[in-house]
Amino acid sequence: MKTSYVIKRILLTIFIFFIVVTLCFFIPRIGVTDPASRYYPAQSAGMTDEVYEEIKEDIRIQYGLNGTTFEQYVRYLKQLFKGDLGISYQSGNPKVIDCIAECLPWTLVLSVTNLLISLILGIIIGTMAAWKRGRWQDKALLNASTVTTALPSFFIALLLSFYLGFELELFPAYTDQNMVTGFDWSWQAISTVMYNAALPIFSMAIGGIVSYGQSTRNSVIAVSGDEFILTAKAKGLSNNRVIYGHTLRNAMLPIVTQFGMNISGLIGGAVVIEKIFNWNGMGTLFLTANSNNDYPLMMGIMIFMSAFALVANLLTDFVYSLLDPRVTLGEKR
Amino acid sequence: MKTIQGQDQEFATKILSVLKKIGITCLRILEGIWSFIKKLWKHKQGRVGLIIVALLVFCAVFAPIIAPYNPYDVTQRAEKGLSPSWDHLLGTSITTGQDIFSMLIYGARSSLSIGLITGLVIAVLGSLLGIAAGYIGGWVDTIIMRIVDILLVIPTLPLVIVMTNVLGTSYAVIVLVFAAFGWTGLARVIRSQVMLIKNANYVKAAELIGASKWYIMWRHILPAVSNLLIMSTALTSAGIMVAEAGLSFLGLGNPEAVSWGKMLADAQSSGAMLFGHWWSILAPGIGIFLAVFSFMRIGLAMEEILNPRMRKGSSMVKVFKHLNNKYLEEVFASMDDGSKLKGEYATCSINETPEGREMLACGEYAPSEEVAVTANGEESKRKEDDESA
Repeated sequence: MKTSYVIKRILLTIFIFFIVVTLCFFIPRIGVTDPASRYYPAQSAGMTDEVYEEIKEDIRIQYGLNGTTFEQYVRYLKQLFKGDLGISYQSGNPKVIDCIAECLPWTLVLSVTNLLISLILGIIIGTMAAWKRGRWQDKALLNASTVTTALPSFFIALLLSFYLGFELELFPAYTDQNMVTGFDWSWQAISTVMYNAALPIFSMAIGGIVSYGQSTRNSVIAVSGDEFILTAKAKGLSNNRVIYGHTLRNAMLPIVTQFGMNISGLIGGAVVIEKIFNWNGMGTLFLTANSNNDYPLMMGIMIFMSAFALVANLLTDFVYSLLDPRVTLGEKR
Repeated sequence: MKTIQGQDQEFATKILSVLKKIGITCLRILEGIWSFIKKLWKHKQGRVGLIIVALLVFCAVFAPIIAPYNPYDVTQRAEKGLSPSWDHLLGTSITTGQDIFSMLIYGARSSLSIGLITGLVIAVLGSLLGIAAGYIGGWVDTIIMRIVDILLVIPTLPLVIVMTNVLGTSYAVIVLVFAAFGWTGLARVIRSQVMLIKNANYVKAAELIGASKWYIMWRHILPAVSNLLIMSTALTSAGIMVAEAGLSFLGLGNPEAVSWGKMLADAQSSGAMLFGHWWSILAPGIGIFLAVFSFMRIGLAMEEILNPRMRKGSSMVKVFKHLNNKYLEEVFASMDDGSKLKGEYATCSINETPEGREMLACGEYAPSEEVAVTANGEESKRKEDDESA
């Protein structure tokens, strides 16, 4: 990896981030309403026009909506540079960054657990299917993948919450909101969170496990045709050594790519699932902001999600080149 | 006719020739579609997909005839929350008392139309931009790929939600928004394919003759990627249908239309689960599943039919020499039933991918392109190959 390439890549990322911020600023602005007329729709009795205008202007200044659109844009960029995403229209006008900080951990609980479960189980199942190629394990995985790729995760979630939540009453079908407000790091609180998170995680993980399993299987089969595997077998190594020491290790690269792509969708990928289970995460925050026309909050969430994806992509690229010495970034072959 | 003289006659012949060209193009497109359907029909998965799509299209087109009730007609609403019976095959919805079976049939309309139209728009946009980026290269390529980078970073669903919030939730807006943010994947695939084709001899020959770039892109590059285009269009349509269902599940789709996602959302919010009305959740879900499943089958079947790696390559036979009997047997035993051991001969093909070697059964898929190999490792080509060589 050349230093010049790294610098170029980082500069490009910053440029893309700038464009994304611009887009996120101007797209909602098409429909933005004047907050002044929202909070002060009519002139109260006995108020002079001058005072009324002054009050309206004060409200605009408070929300950063005074001046022309371009002035607002420059001001927004300046604020963003300081790490300030503005204030929300919600009651009490909390800072956008605080809203995000409040909801982010809850989304991460869901998505990180989901990703880890999918990855680990997927690799185990996929390796097994590749090893038992053509037998029932392999066929079961293939059939499962034809079904789950066509099943949207929110439908799986609805079925699970219907059967496991309402019929068998094994898991809560709706999240208990006391879990969020009364969270202290006690074991009881953590176990309550896991109990409530079981269904959402499981309904997302079904598709994830199968897709990781399928790509592991294909990758392992592709590698197991290589000559060094034949050599390993000829040396008399045990099956486990051949699978885990030689085959799987070389079959990891496509899985790393898939993992990197999934990491960039960690925050924005569970909007519908969060809605179904009433989970207090970023998706719910965004939907609430949307129904309230809370533009600063929507803009803030989108910029945050994009920044997260950008950083994730950048890191994946670098990690990938470290893992596989054959990948030489930015060098011409 | 004798009355047409001079200029008029010239004009008439011009119009005739133009009409002829248009007719021929239409015929060609129809022929292409027909051969595409025939190819798919031979493939097991493709046939399943085709049958389901045909069924769904039939339901969507003849919905008013098939459906026992009209879900849009307020007077045809029954008692709310009925269980399945002969009058209402899948019961009625809890909130409005609409017949769920009829809603299921009418729902095919919105799902299929949005999926197909968006798929087509994406196919046009993605192929145009992908071919431009891949063939013209230079700054055009840079700009298009930067746009792709930007669009890939912004989370799609939140962006679509914002756009529908700002622009409204009519069908046109939903199609446009999905198309505007969905073409990136296709453009990438097409671009990389075009970069391979660009160096083919026939393209170089056309360039040497002095053909214009537009001509080459239209007559040489586009036909070469058309199969890939059809395949990806089927897969993107499936993805769009899932996204549309998700959007209308969130209550952000077209509020007036009957759609499967909205049916799911209504069932959930009105407490269908609490009352144990499993049919009102299962029915729209199966609708979504069938639509997505069939399009995916068609796309994947096309991928298997078209996969260039399935075709005969010179490296194939060489690789076979290294393989011993036992390994071959293992491989044949694990292959699909399409390729059985025929006496001493078995048909299969090997290809070298960047990741490694892969053995593929092709007896079922491409009979004229297979290489027959004895179990001893000696290679013998089929008659067709000898003739062509």
